[in-house]
Amino acid sequence: MSAVIETHELSKRYRRVTALSDCSVTVPESRICALIGPNGAGKTTLLRLLAGLARPTGGAVCVLGGAPRQDPAFLAEIGYLAQEIPLYRRLTAEDHIRAGAHLNPRWDAVSVRTRLADLNIPLDRAVGTLSGGQRAQVALALTLAKRPRLLLLDEPVAALDPLARRHFLGSLTAAVAESGGELTVVLSSHLIADLERVCDHIILLTESRVQLCGDIETLLSEHKVLVGPRKDTSALERTHTVVHAVRTARQSTLLVRVGGPVFDPAYEASDVDLEELVLGYMGASAAPALAHLTAVGEEQ
Amino acid sequence: MISFRVDGRSGVPPYLQIVQQVRQALRMGVLSVGDQLPTVREVVAEVAVNPNTVLKAYRDLEREGLVEARAGQGTFVRGRPPGPPPGTHSRLGRSLARWVREARQAGLDDESIESLLRVTLRADSAAWDSDSEEIA
Amino acid sequence: MTWLVWRQYRWQAAIAALLLAAFAAVLIVTGLRMASQWHSLLTTCTNSSACGTVSLGSTLGQDLVVLSLAVPVILGFLWGAPLVAHELETGTVNFAWAQSVTKARWLTVKAGWLLLAAAIWGGAVAALVTWWSGPRNAFYSDQFQPNYFDQQGIVPIGYAVFATALGIAAGALVRRTLVAIAVTIGGFIGVRLMISQFLRAHYMPAVTAYYNPLSGYSPPGSAWVLSTGVVDKYGHVFSGGSGPEVNGVPVSAIPAHCRSMLFTDPTTLSKDKLHQATSCMQASGFRGFSTYQPAYHYWPFQGIETGIYLALAAAALAVTFLIVRYRDA
Repeated sequence: MSAVIETHELSKRYRRVTALSDCSVTVPESRICALIGPNGAGKTTLLRLLAGLARPTGGAVCVLGGAPRQDPAFLAEIGYLAQEIPLYRRLTAEDHIRAGAHLNPRWDAVSVRTRLADLNIPLDRAVGTLSGGQRAQVALALTLAKRPRLLLLDEPVAALDPLARRHFLGSLTAAVAESGGELTVVLSSHLIADLERVCDHIILLTESRVQLCGDIETLLSEHKVLVGPRKDTSALERTHTVVHAVRTARQSTLLVRVGGPVFDPAYEASDVDLEELVLGYMGASAAPALAHLTAVGEEQ
Repeated sequence: MISFRVDGRSGVPPYLQIVQQVRQALRMGVLSVGDQLPTVREVVAEVAVNPNTVLKAYRDLEREGLVEARAGQGTFVRGRPPGPPPGTHSRLGRSLARWVREARQAGLDDESIESLLRVTLRADSAAWDSDSEEIA
Repeated sequence: MTWLVWRQYRWQAAIAALLLAAFAAVLIVTGLRMASQWHSLLTTCTNSSACGTVSLGSTLGQDLVVLSLAVPVILGFLWGAPLVAHELETGTVNFAWAQSVTKARWLTVKAGWLLLAAAIWGGAVAALVTWWSGPRNAFYSDQFQPNYFDQQGIVPIGYAVFATALGIAAGALVRRTLVAIAVTIGGFIGVRLMISQFLRAHYMPAVTAYYNPLSGYSPPGSAWVLSTGVVDKYGHVFSGGSGPEVNGVPVSAIPAHCRSMLFTDPTTLSKDKLHQATSCMQASGFRGFSTYQPAYHYWPFQGIETGIYLALAAAALAVTFLIVRYRDA
């Protein structure tokens, strides 16, 4: 499978703020990729760089075989949905459909009308009068009508209630299923439970850096949580990497990236789920020094 | 038509949940031979899981011989999982219900009942295995 | 893209057309009335002194015409400032830019149509005001004077286009509609004042005519007098301004011995005395002068000023393109 997205040491600096530094990620074709990270980690910046709406200050980015550019042919292949649902509040859904027909080389108006009819969303009411969930569905349907090859969704379900979220993700996965492997999706969100159901690939960003990038199933199989008595981990660290450690006076809970089988009988090993994995990496980058300090302090 | 449920918290991988639900539906008689399974698109639209999950489940079921994919038409039920005839479940279910009522009246709570069931299952499989070894 | 622009702004276009129609209606009605006044004036007026006591005009029309000076600013902040700023504020730019439309094309089509509309609106207002001012211009010959110059001819088109382009640029720069409106108003007024006060007089070299001091010379036709006064034999210039004057010459400039000839009684001035004082000043080496832009410079000036404003508009537009293209929201 060829890679739809490939970045190499990508970075983006605004005057004094570094939004992204040294990002190297790969997303293969026809994946649904989760983009996770705390607020301000750089998720929106990364998505905009991929969509060609911002230009990098360092490194390289390659999307669909070329650098993102302000070129109608490239823009037609990308479906970018910004966080604040970008619709004209006083225009109706039908207006937006007609606008899309004028502005895009490929436009499947029928699919939008069918989708919205299935969801009972009226086409002739001003979009500003629809609920948040309905607006998100309209925006998604319009984005899909372009028949893009890559969908970039910036926190599309953030403002939706659980039912609206379920419907939105259902529509999204249905579109992926219909596309027969042609559609790749990158979606950013905070709701790990949703992402775990829907995504098969993950990019984890914290503090403008990439902590994880890869196939979810593989990553989960490569990590384990080891719970055991508090002791020195240098022997363990010869073959495995301790990603994050929580130490009390007597006990250690370690998130470990395993380099082979774990032989130490003192530890009880268990599998990780996506939430534990993500929290572990996020916790590790947030306060690695602090964890060590507590360890030393309590030792003395 | 069967409708699926995927429980993210159950610890069972989603694709396996779908496989189990199809098998259960077949056992219970909700699905019979010749019925069409919902398309991948229909499943994900309702359940919101990755399409590959459903594809994997259907492939597993196909490998087990329970379903077959007919090109251009969909996925259809081909056979039933090996096991007792459909009536067995309801019959055993009823006697189990009686036992559970008795256990509750004796003062067992749900947790004790479950743990008793687990211990019994384990002991019974061990006995079954050793029986099979003897026979073999 | 054009369809989208139309769909977004069709109500505003309708309202603008209605306002223009109302403006035109008032001007046409009052203008026709003024024209007939003028015609009757021409037929009845044979003696120049009798004509001098008649005034010509219509207050409602006059008020509207003065208001028309504000048209460009209003276009600038009402149409220009929100064009880019509002879409940036509400995030709707992300709709158009996500529809296979490049930023450059989006801006070109939106700004292009808006500037065209501004030019047409400004031109229509200018044409109406110029036609309406016909009798006034013939009577008072003051179309070259400041403020009157700004209302007629083709410069209003330049102002309208510039104000709109400035508004668009301000909107793209500050990205917030209200701030952009303030910047547009301030910027436009600043530029207009600077150009009309300091630059306009110098578009083409002025003509200086010398004449008998104190004779109150007035250049012919609708010339624009820049300064007038007397110059002495050493080349010192005394031109009018504050304080008492006689025919444009400050009293303080008149040498004492000539001045005493003028005023026997400070309030009365007789023609005879004026004649004597004039000869006295001439004998002392004084000459009267008037520096002015002649009437035949009127249309060249209109062209030059319009050109300046169109060039400024182009610069504002270029800045807008750079901002939209290269600044990452």
